Amino acid sequence: MSQRKTFLLLLPAGVLLVVFLAIPYVSVFISAFREPGQGTPYGEGYTIANFTRILGDWFYVKQALNTMLIGAVTTLATLVIGLPVAFQLARPDLKLRGLFYGIVLSPLLVGIVIRSYGWTILLGNNGVINRTLREWGWIDGPLPLMYNTLGIVIALTHVFLPFMILPIMSAVQGIDPSVGSAARSLGAKRPTVIRRVLLPLAMPGIQSGCILVFVLALSSYVTPALIGGLRVKTTAVTVVDAMIDTFQWPFGAALALTLSVLGGGSVLIFARLTRMKWK
Amino acid sequence: MGRNVLNIYCLAVYAFLLAPIFVVVGASFNAGEFLTFPPQGLSLRWYFTFFENEVFLRAIGTSLWIAAVATFFSVIIGTMAAIHYVNFAGRYKEAVRVAALSPLLLPEILTAIALLFFLYDIGIGTTTMFGLLVGHVLMTLPFVFMNVSASLEAYDTDWSMAARSLGARPFTRFRRIMLPLIKPGMIGGALFSFVISFDIFTISLLLKSIGTATLPIQLFDYLKTNYTPEAAAVSTLSIVATITVVVIVEKVIGLKMHKF
Repeated sequence: MSQRKTFLLLLPAGVLLVVFLAIPYVSVFISAFREPGQGTPYGEGYTIANFTRILGDWFYVKQALNTMLIGAVTTLATLVIGLPVAFQLARPDLKLRGLFYGIVLSPLLVGIVIRSYGWTILLGNNGVINRTLREWGWIDGPLPLMYNTLGIVIALTHVFLPFMILPIMSAVQGIDPSVGSAARSLGAKRPTVIRRVLLPLAMPGIQSGCILVFVLALSSYVTPALIGGLRVKTTAVTVVDAMIDTFQWPFGAALALTLSVLGGGSVLIFARLTRMKWK
Repeated sequence: MGRNVLNIYCLAVYAFLLAPIFVVVGASFNAGEFLTFPPQGLSLRWYFTFFENEVFLRAIGTSLWIAAVATFFSVIIGTMAAIHYVNFAGRYKEAVRVAALSPLLLPEILTAIALLFFLYDIGIGTTTMFGLLVGHVLMTLPFVFMNVSASLEAYDTDWSMAARSLGARPFTRFRRIMLPLIKPGMIGGALFSFVISFDIFTISLLLKSIGTATLPIQLFDYLKTNYTPEAAAVSTLSIVATITVVVIVEKVIGLKMHKF
């Protein structure tokens, strides 16, 4: 087939991505500098007031920092919880491997609203955890597990754990098993083998898992909205409020852009620190 | 010793992964008015309540319709792009891949806002379902692309050359050689696309038109103000339906998870 004919294969995807992704991103960037409208989504003129309002108000700055913190802690938690599981799942001799793999994938098949709902049943003041602990006589009043940052982190850790386990697992599966035995036959102890051989080889998976979880956690809306309720709001929740409830489109766009720039910047710094090659 | 510790640790993680799902399923059989634990007796009453609740039934209908239409377009567009990517992209290969995966790499909330502004600017707004559908096609495209290109990577272009030298026309080569090879990838991609579309939230929330709330949106709306176990019944049915479909597809064609 000629070059021109094969290019036709790419045409529908190209049109879709340019018209409905690239151009809208340009327009959202411009719209973040629009003046607020009266009765319309945005006004005629241009202004930087949307951004100065965010940066000049400690409420929004603090909220953005708290959102970043939630993202970072969630990433760390999924890494600590997920790493051993990824290594276990990557072992070809593991019994019931299919079952465990299915369990890791299962949250992805259950909608994100349903999973967050499950956590509200678990974490609420009259929830499963508090009730059980009270019946056992371990606590008098309910532990504050919901409507706070802790609850959001717990639920987000659950929601995004598969996105940490799966990339690490595929990286570990690519490691030749004889590498480990070679290191051990040369006298390396088990912890040394893990630290000096397996972890460095699993590093590409760890890096993509971390970036994936961090970005997803930053922009997630459902879980913080349900677990945080009206008391703790992340930036993403405030963005949606601005878009839907108070109808301040340019301000919502500016806030979403700020969050994305902060997130993108963090990812770049992380990639630089861990010296990752972009692939 | 070390291995046992690892196994116990992993079992605890699996319990953590399943806990909220089990709680929702358990709550759906609660006989009481409110979500309480342990349940006040077992009953199917909330399932009957749900079957009479038109709001949820309509939301399920909307979700199924959008997922089906979005998957249809995603599979066609994504498969074509994947064929180009694997066979003809040459030195632009990396650019094509990044572009095709970009809806996944960009924050969904910003994509939703960007589409909202764009739709308003071109005068469509959210008066029709068009925006919602475009959003769902965009978000599901990467999954079709990944699945199909993974199954195509295994396809040796020499076979196509061999068929060509034996006189097969391009369309015959596509139908008799390439299509059977990429079929599992297309089915896997379609399945992923359907499941993902069924779960898309932020895009649906911002781009929905009046009366086109999808199931996740309806469920979320309900949960903000209601605490009855009806939501658990709806969730349980949705979980059962998804798992049934995935297991059937897995048994019939041997699904490969080419997600990463």
